[in-house]
Amino acid sequence: MRTAIVISAAVLAQAAGNTLVSKAMKTIGGMSASSDILSPLLLVEAMGNPMIWTGTGLLILFFILFTASLSWADLSYVLPASSFGYVLNVAFARHFLDEPVSPARWSGALLIFLGVALVARSGKMKTAVPATPKSPEGQ
Amino acid sequence: MDFLTVLMITVIVFANSAGDVLITRGMKRVGEISTLHPREILIVAGKVLLNRDFHLGIFFLAIGFFSFLAVLAWADMSLVVPATSIVYVFSILGAKFVLREEVTPLRWAGTVLVCAGVALICL
Repeated sequence: MRTAIVISAAVLAQAAGNTLVSKAMKTIGGMSASSDILSPLLLVEAMGNPMIWTGTGLLILFFILFTASLSWADLSYVLPASSFGYVLNVAFARHFLDEPVSPARWSGALLIFLGVALVARSGKMKTAVPATPKSPEGQ
Repeated sequence: MDFLTVLMITVIVFANSAGDVLITRGMKRVGEISTLHPREILIVAGKVLLNRDFHLGIFFLAIGFFSFLAVLAWADMSLVVPATSIVYVFSILGAKFVLREEVTPLRWAGTVLVCAGVALICL
């Protein structure tokens, strides 16, 4: 249960972080001329945007949760399971950023959903970890 | 697809897989994080930040990230992202052969579906 909660929180933070950063960068990019897209001024403008900081904070939270889950669960479980973030990213982009989502993208999201469901059924830990201070059990 | 793009995609895939595997090995050596107590978490964070595998993992992930940014300068994202989705398969191979994880057929099937799904999403 703990693994499911931590990975769910991680992918939620990642999708929200990506959405906030994307929304902020589109707003900033929309205000500047397209030729200035890589200018230092744009970077300074981005650094002053609270949405960029919140989004970046959420992406850091994703990395911390992802890394923490690797301390007790298999990489071959955590990596595919956390890819559910792609599905959330597509849904968030459609809902919050009004981006068009093609049928191919929805099909991809469905495949990821099925893949994550299969991996989740395999259990979080199949491998005994020697020489770690605590048992990997305790879900 | 030109030679340089193929080379960069190969670098991205291998760097990301190596990063994932090294970070996992580092975290397994640090030990299970089973507390929410701030002081304990600080101690664990200190151990993580002093772990050599963790440093190497971050180094490889950074190589992957900057290679990804570089290749986007001349190649389409709609090509690069689906092509690099094979990273899931390589990371699972790393988990099996380097970390000695038991990868069941169910996990393989799920990973291949995820890989195909990521490729479809980015097309």
